[in-house]
Order: sequence, then structure tokens, then C-alpha cells
Amino acid sequence: MKQSRPAEQESADKWEVQLRKGCLELAILAALWEGKLYGLEILRRLESDSDLVVSEGTVYPLLSRLKVLGLVRSEWVESDSGHPRKYYALTPAGKQRSREMAAMWMRFSSSMNRLLAPLAQR
Amino acid sequence: MTTPDSQQKVDAYLEKLRRLLRGMNPEDAREIIEELRSHITEKTAVSGQLTAAAVSAALSELGTPEELAGQYTTDDLLMRAEVSRSPVRILESLFRWASLSVAGFFVLLGSIVGYFLGGAFMWCAVLKLIHPQTAGLWLLADGPGVTRLSLRMGFGSPPLGGRDLLGWWIVPVGLVAGCGLVMLTTRLALWCARQYRKSLALPWG
Repeated sequence: MKQSRPAEQESADKWEVQLRKGCLELAILAALWEGKLYGLEILRRLESDSDLVVSEGTVYPLLSRLKVLGLVRSEWVESDSGHPRKYYALTPAGKQRSREMAAMWMRFSSSMNRLLAPLAQR
Repeated sequence: MTTPDSQQKVDAYLEKLRRLLRGMNPEDAREIIEELRSHITEKTAVSGQLTAAAVSAALSELGTPEELAGQYTTDDLLMRAEVSRSPVRILESLFRWASLSVAGFFVLLGSIVGYFLGGAFMWCAVLKLIHPQTAGLWLLADGPGVTRLSLRMGFGSPPLGGRDLLGWWIVPVGLVAGCGLVMLTTRLALWCARQYRKSLALPWG
């Protein structure tokens, strides 16, 4: 059962969810920037390098979507522990797209930061 | 090693997902299942104890097979649409979505009606060029004071007491209305798919 909460809190949560959702694609591409990773490594990278807590059931479908869009490619690699892992790596198109998205993000966040600076001061 | 019970649970989960992904490219579906199997194996191995609890935790973090299949399916639909807006492709994905949820079923139903009407208008426009006497948008008199509009696409003889409302105008009007209906249906179906996608398991936390 969901606890009933004030409407403002509810809508702030919704906003945060949308915000995080919008960043997930870029976060995954960024996690792959330095080299190939398999699904669970991507999840762990997102959790350790950022405080983004990601639901597992969302990352795998998103990875297969990025693959069809040609931004990542995948290959199966046999692991020491005996089961194969599906590794993902950025394609040249994926690298270019991540750079573009990163640049957009930097521009956007620096203007937002300027705008928000007065609000952050206590 | 995993206890037989837990292994059965994983197999049942993946089998259910496999059935829900049926209709997708078989190779893609197989890869999805194998990738998730690998994920679950590693997830439960890391937790040290291969208990029923570890397996349950790993599965619940992935979401239900229906939720997962819903994400793969609607992603697939939206992606196909980004690559090609072919109604056939879209209907194909909608059939799969319809097997997963009531929402999908109604979107499929609406889309079939939309595409059918769109197709009928275009067909009528083309047929007018071949059979100008019978094709077109006709106002038919069924009886005294009873009239109905009919999009005539047949070959037979021109209907008695009927009036061809648009004449040659059915050609441009039919083509525009037909294309418009097809595009509108596609957009509406994609919009519904996006809304559904949003309503599925929150991506974070």
C-alpha cells in the first residue's frame, strides 16, 4: 500500500523521476565511454560513480534499444565463472552521439546552475 | 550450486518471458533470455548464498516478466517507428503488445479501424479513376427520408436513386483523407505506446 503524501511532495517526486529517466540514456553511454562492459557492470558503474540508483529491469531493455539504434554493439564473451556475458561497447555513431549529448548537457547545466545559484545559498 | 527449487523458479520466469516475447525476432528474443539468465546467475552467485531468497530478490529487482516484456515490446515498437513508419510493422508490434495488456488490445483495435478507414479512402480514390460510374462517396436513399453515406468501392452497377456527392473530388479528397488517417493512426498508436511505457516500472530506485 502506498502511504498518502502531500500533493506537492508527490509532484516533486514525479519531477525527479522524469529528470532521472531523461538522463538514463546518456548515463549508460557515458558508462561505456572507457570500454566495453556487460549489463551488471554497467549497473554497478552507474551506482558507484553516481548516486543514481537504477532499476535493473529498465537498463536491459534500454541497452537493446540503443543497440538497434546503432549506438552500441554487443558481443558474447565466455567468463571465468563459466557463463557467457553479453558485453556492450560504443559504436563510432554512439561515441559521436555521447559527445554531442555531453556537450548539450554541459551547456544546459551551466546555465541552469547560474540561474539556480541564488536559490542554493542559505 | 543453486537448489533445484530456485533453478526451477528462474527457468519458469525466463520461460514466461520467452512466451511473452514470442513474435519478436526469435534471435533477438533468445539473446534477451540468455542475457537475463547470465545476469541472474551472476547476481545470485555474488550474494554468496544461492538461496531461494537470493533468487527471489534478483527476480523482483528485474520486475515481473510482463513488465519486462512490456518494456521490450513497446521499446521495439517505438524504435521500429523511428526507423520506419510502416503500418505493417506497427501493427505487428501492436499485436504483441495486445497479448500483454488490455491497453494494448484497445490500441490495436483502434489502429486497425484507423488504418482500415484510411486504406478505404485511398482505395476509393484510385478506383474512381478506373470505374468513375460506381466508385466514390455516395449518398444513398434506402427509403423515403432514410439516407446514408456510403464509400462505394465495388464494381457493380451505380446504385439507384443514389447521388455521387464528391464526383471527381473523391480523388484528391480520398488520397488526402486516407493518408491523413493513416498518419494520425500511427501517431496515436505511438503516443499510446509512449504513455504505456512511461507507466511501467519506474527506472530508478
